[in-house]
Amino acid sequence: MYVIDQQAISAQKTHDLSFEKGDYAIYSAATLPIVEPAYAEFIPLNLLRRMGKAVKMGIAAALPIVNRNQKVDGIIIGTANGGLENCIDFLNQIVAYDEGVLTPTNFVQSTPNALAGQLALMTKNTGYNSTHVNGSLSFENALVDAKLFFEATTNKTSLLVGSVEEISSYNYHIDLLSGRYKKEIISNDQLIQSNTEGSICGEGASFFLLSNSPEHAVAEIVDTTQIIHPSTADLTVLMNAFFEKNQLSMDAIDLILLGKNGDNRLDFWYDDFHQIFPATPAINFKQLTGDYRTISGFATYLGVQILNGKINGAHPAFNTEFPTNCNHILIYNHFDGIRHGFILIKKGTR
Amino acid sequence: MSKVFVTGFGAISAIGNSALEARSSLINGTSGIKKARFFKSNYVNSLLFGEIPLNDEDFINLTNSPKNSGLTRTSLIALAAFQQAITSANLSEEALSSFTTGFISASTVGGMCYTDKLYEDANLQGEASEFVGSYEASDHTFQIANRYTIKGYTDTINTACSSSANAILLGARLIQSGRLERVIVGGADSLAKYTVNGFNALMILSDEACAPFSTDRKGLNLGEAGAYLVLENEACANKKKKYAEVIGFGNSNDAFHPSATSPDAVGPVLAMQKALQVAGLTAGQINYINAHGTGTINNDETESTAFATVFENNPPPYNSTKSYTGHTLAASGALEAIFSVLSMENNELYPSLNCQDPINTFPFQPIQTYCEQQPIHYIMSNSFGFGGNCTSLIFSKCM
Amino acid sequence: MTTNELTLEFKNHLITYLNLLDISIDDIKDDEPLFGGDLGLDSIDSVELIVLLDREYGIKIKNPADGRQILVDVNTIVAYIEENRTK
Repeated sequence: MYVIDQQAISAQKTHDLSFEKGDYAIYSAATLPIVEPAYAEFIPLNLLRRMGKAVKMGIAAALPIVNRNQKVDGIIIGTANGGLENCIDFLNQIVAYDEGVLTPTNFVQSTPNALAGQLALMTKNTGYNSTHVNGSLSFENALVDAKLFFEATTNKTSLLVGSVEEISSYNYHIDLLSGRYKKEIISNDQLIQSNTEGSICGEGASFFLLSNSPEHAVAEIVDTTQIIHPSTADLTVLMNAFFEKNQLSMDAIDLILLGKNGDNRLDFWYDDFHQIFPATPAINFKQLTGDYRTISGFATYLGVQILNGKINGAHPAFNTEFPTNCNHILIYNHFDGIRHGFILIKKGTR
Repeated sequence: MSKVFVTGFGAISAIGNSALEARSSLINGTSGIKKARFFKSNYVNSLLFGEIPLNDEDFINLTNSPKNSGLTRTSLIALAAFQQAITSANLSEEALSSFTTGFISASTVGGMCYTDKLYEDANLQGEASEFVGSYEASDHTFQIANRYTIKGYTDTINTACSSSANAILLGARLIQSGRLERVIVGGADSLAKYTVNGFNALMILSDEACAPFSTDRKGLNLGEAGAYLVLENEACANKKKKYAEVIGFGNSNDAFHPSATSPDAVGPVLAMQKALQVAGLTAGQINYINAHGTGTINNDETESTAFATVFENNPPPYNSTKSYTGHTLAASGALEAIFSVLSMENNELYPSLNCQDPINTFPFQPIQTYCEQQPIHYIMSNSFGFGGNCTSLIFSKCM
Repeated sequence: MTTNELTLEFKNHLITYLNLLDISIDDIKDDEPLFGGDLGLDSIDSVELIVLLDREYGIKIKNPADGRQILVDVNTIVAYIEENRTK
C-alpha cells in the first residue's frame, strides 16, 4: 500500500513545512502542545464550536489532504484515547451536578470515533469507517485494517488513515500518577540524553492518503507488525520472521527511527533493538514532540519526508549523519516496554 | 481465500451467565431488564438496566482472578465471556500463544467504568488508585492478552455501538487473507455512570422497559455484556464443531449527524447491501435479521426505512434482542451475532418483546412469538452507532 | 427583570451554552427560528437549551417533544421563561 499524500500537526511547524526548512522549535515545559493551525480556515464555525482539540487537530491534518486530492473511499483512525478533554469535562459535570441535568456535547465529542464520524460527515464519505483504540498500537492497527481493505478489492481505491492524540489535564494527571512524565522541567532538545525517569507529554495528528495504486506515491508502507510482553530474544525472532515474510534482507534498511523518550528505565529496549541492525544508522524523534500513544503516526510522517529528501541529517533536530538517499526505513516504538510496534516503509515511485 | 468458521463462543449478559442460559431466556421471552442491584448511580431508582446479576467480587471468583489487581468490571466481564469462548472452541494454551492467533476486542466505556475513581485520579485528588493504569479503552484487551500470553495480533476497536461487529469484520478479513489462523473477536462494556449520564443527557433513555419497533417506544435501556466468538480457518476448524460461517460483512458511514441516523437510512442501507454483496446473496435469501433495534424514536424509524429499501418492503422475520439485554454498546454486535447463531443452529426464532403496537407506517413487524422448526440458512445482524458507524454481518449455517 | 432585559440575558446564555463562535447578541433576531435557520442549530443544541433552561431558570423539560413547542425562537422561549421560571 502506498502513501500518496500526508500532513502532520505537531509541536513543530510541520503544518506549513517550516520544520522541514530547518525551523526547530525548542520549549521548556512539562507538556508540548501542538502549533495550532488557523482552524477556521478548514472548519465551518458552526461545527468548530462543538469540537474538542483531538477532533479539531485531526480535521486540520486530514482536510488539506482531502482538498488536495479527489476521491477517498474510507476513513480509518488510530487513537488511544480520542477527545479526553471533553471526557473529563463530562466527568466533572457528572460530579458537579450530581448526575443531574448535563449537557450532551461533551459526551458526544468524547467518544474516540467522533473524529472519524466528523470527517465522514464533513467530506460526505459513506465508505468504510473505523477507529482503533488499541493504546500505543492503534496506528499500527489502522495500517493493518487499511491493508486488508485494499486486499479485498481489485479497483483502485484510497483511504484516509490517521492518528491523533491530545494533551488533556486528564491524561496528564493519570500518566503523571503512573510515573510516565519527568518531575523536572527540561527543554525538548535535551529529552533523549536527560537520563532521568519519565518523558515529556506530547500530542499530535498525522494523516495519510493511502492507495493500492503506486501512481504518484511518495512512499510505500510495506508492512507493520507488533508484539506484547516480548523478551529481547523475541524481538530478534520477530524481526527475522518479518523480513523473511517481506522478502527483504535486513541489510536493506538504510535508517531506523527509534522511539526513545528519555526515560532511563525503558530506553534500553531501543539500544538492544539497534543491535539487531548494528551497521544501520538510527535517529530519535521524540525530541520533536514529546511522547504520546500514537506517535508512530508522526514517525511515519517523518520517515516519508526523509525518504523524499525533505529532511536530512543536517537538520538541527537530528544533527547526525545518515544516508541522503534512503530506500528503506524501519520505525520501532514501544510503550512502557510492553507494547512494541514496527512499521517498514520504502521510497515511492514518484 | 480461506473460509471463516465460528468454532466457539461465550456470552454473559443480563439474560444469562452463558450462551446456553441466554438461549433459554430467549425461548421463554424472559427479559433481563429490571432495577439494577449492583450498579451505583442516582438513576437506579428511576431507570431500568440490563445488569448482569453478579457483583465485582462474584466476577473475580468466576474468572479466577487475583483481587486488587486493577481489573475493572469491563475487564472482568470480558474475561468471563472470553474464557467461555476459548473453552467452547477447545483452544489449547499453545494455540492461544501462537503468532497466528489474534485477539480483537471492542469497548466504548473501557476502563472508565469506575467513574468516581477516574474522577479522583484525573483531578489528582489523593493517592493513585489501583485502577490508575486501567482507564484506557484497550486495558481489558491487554489484561486478557497478558493473562493468556497472546503473542499474535491484538486490537481494540471503538466505533461506538457497532464496535464488536467491526471486530468480527476485521477478524474475518485477517483469516481470509491468511494472516491469522484463528482469532477471538468480540467486545465488552459494563454499566457506568459515564454512559448512563451521557445517554440520559441526549434524552434517549426510556424509564420503562424498551419497546423496539413499537409505536409508543420511548428510548433505550442501557445494559452490560461480554461476548466473544472464536473464528478459525478451514484447517483449524477441520474436525471441530462449526456453529456457523462468516460469509458477509459491510461497513459504511451514515455521514449525517454525530448522534442521530439519517431519515433515508443511507448508512444502514449501504452496510446491509455491502454485506449481501460480499456474501454473494440476494436480499430475499436472508432468513432472519437481528436488528440493531435500540428502541429510540430515531433508530427504529431509520432501521425500518432501511428494511423497506433493502428488502423491498418485505424483510424476513426480525427481532431486537435488546428488548432482553438492553443496549450493551460495544458488546452488542458480538452478543447479537451469538444470539443469531443460536437461532440458526436451533432453527428457532425468538420473539421481540414489548411490541404490541408495531410502527404502522411500514407493512412489516418484528417476530411476536417463539417459533420452532424454522428453516434458517442465512442470518443478518445489524449494528449502528454514533459517529454514523454502521456495520452489517451475514452468517450461514454449516451443514 | 423586564422582558427586554430577560431577552438580552437569554441571548447571552444562548451564545455561551452553544459556544456560538463569531455570533453576537445583535445577530440573533427575536423572531428568527432557532432551528433550521441561519444559526444552524440541531437536535443536540435543543438538548443543550433544555439544560440552559434548567440551570439558569429552574425550568424542567422532561420530554424533548415538549421542547420543540417551546424552543421555536427567542420570543417563545423568553415568554416561556417568564411564565415558568422558578429562579
